[in-house]
Amino acid sequence: MAIRLSRTFILRKLHQLSGIFPLGIFLLEHFYTNSKALDGEKHFNDAVADLQAIPYILLIEIGGIFIPLIYHAVYGLVITMEARPNNLAYPYPRNWFYLIQRITGVILFFFIFFHVLNFRFGMVPGLNRISVAEHPEQAFGIVAGEFRMWWIFAIYMIGITATVWHLANGIWLFLVDWGITIGERAQRLTGYACIAFGVVLLLVGVNAAVAFIRPGGLIGGIIH
Amino acid sequence: MANNSATVEIHIRRRANPDASPYWEQFEIPYRPNLNIISCLMEIQKNPVNKAGERTTPPVWSMNCLEQVCGICTMIVNGRARQSCSALIDNLEQPIKLEPMSKFPNIRDLVVDRQQMFDHLRRVHAWIELDGTHDLGPGPRMDQEDVQERYAYSRCMTCGCCLEACPQYEGDNYIGPQAIAQVRLMNMHPSGKMNRAERLEAIMGEDGITNCGNAQNCVRACPMNIPLTRAIYEENRETVIHGLLGWLKG
Repeated sequence: MAIRLSRTFILRKLHQLSGIFPLGIFLLEHFYTNSKALDGEKHFNDAVADLQAIPYILLIEIGGIFIPLIYHAVYGLVITMEARPNNLAYPYPRNWFYLIQRITGVILFFFIFFHVLNFRFGMVPGLNRISVAEHPEQAFGIVAGEFRMWWIFAIYMIGITATVWHLANGIWLFLVDWGITIGERAQRLTGYACIAFGVVLLLVGVNAAVAFIRPGGLIGGIIH
Repeated sequence: MANNSATVEIHIRRRANPDASPYWEQFEIPYRPNLNIISCLMEIQKNPVNKAGERTTPPVWSMNCLEQVCGICTMIVNGRARQSCSALIDNLEQPIKLEPMSKFPNIRDLVVDRQQMFDHLRRVHAWIELDGTHDLGPGPRMDQEDVQERYAYSRCMTCGCCLEACPQYEGDNYIGPQAIAQVRLMNMHPSGKMNRAERLEAIMGEDGITNCGNAQNCVRACPMNIPLTRAIYEENRETVIHGLLGWLKG
């Protein structure tokens, strides 16, 4: 008997998958490129220029980032609307994770919208008006200029933290939703692995951001 | 502790009929050692006078086995779903607040209609076909490990604590851990496996297994300690392999 797939089932599976591939993979690439800033302005600008020189970059950007991103964001909001949080009556860690995953999702909806307009397109009124993608030679300067405003930097710190949480917990959710992690012990162990991954990723992400306003990042000059 | 002047104060969220609006009524009864919620309700029923001294209608509730195996007396005790028969007064903070379960239609006082859970069982084909026109002989043998796991799922008494605690379950919008665990129970059985596709299709519908949000309250709320998240994740695997990737075998 062939099993019929319902619309909701397919949409949810696509939502779960798109968070890891391509969006999770893209975040790793993004932090990798950002980390080039640890070695200074030229390294970062060259990395941006290299990305822009990828063949079919526009198609990759649209099909690999924008479409999955918009789908994940919009359908994520639909899922969030279904939630009836009951954390005070049932104050368990996983129940908090459930709520935080949705809160960070909503934060990310607005943060990524702002971030893409701010840097990719340079279209936020009153802020940077130059597209980083179209002017790789000015990339570092544009980001550094924005980050020198403390409140913009604060927005990015919140955004990076929310993103890392959402991905690290999202990996765990993917593992159980796709039936990869099953038993209680495996759930616990993969949970620890995701926390460790999240901590490392957060340090990498924050360090790269700091590198735009402090040469070499948090511990500038020691590692680099 | 067994002080003659000691009392038990109970607040009950009542409702005269499904269309009436709910209200709280307070009761006070003399304390006795080893009281449980049911014996308190029986005490109130004998002499239905509320704390203010007014005569009222006796509160209505459901009960049957009185030993936490039938599930019918489930209600919300001090904010959490549990069986009222096994909720001992000595272990509860007073005043004790009793409410009907919030995820099922409230019929009257503490009585709810839990039909939707039985509809779910029917939808997921939560039984094994054994009827034949001839003797089918002894059933196939099962792995001891599978027997142990199936025993855990078989303890479900359809009380609804998992659905009450689930932040995704509201207005019968999700098939829920209760039915998914029974899918696991039946799909693990060598004869039950013959209806696997039917069960998987039932939990892959619009209100299916993907509505799970992994808050994992179900497994914590389950009074029978059924590994409900394990069941959900096993069925996630089955739906991915046989549902989502099934076409690769065709």
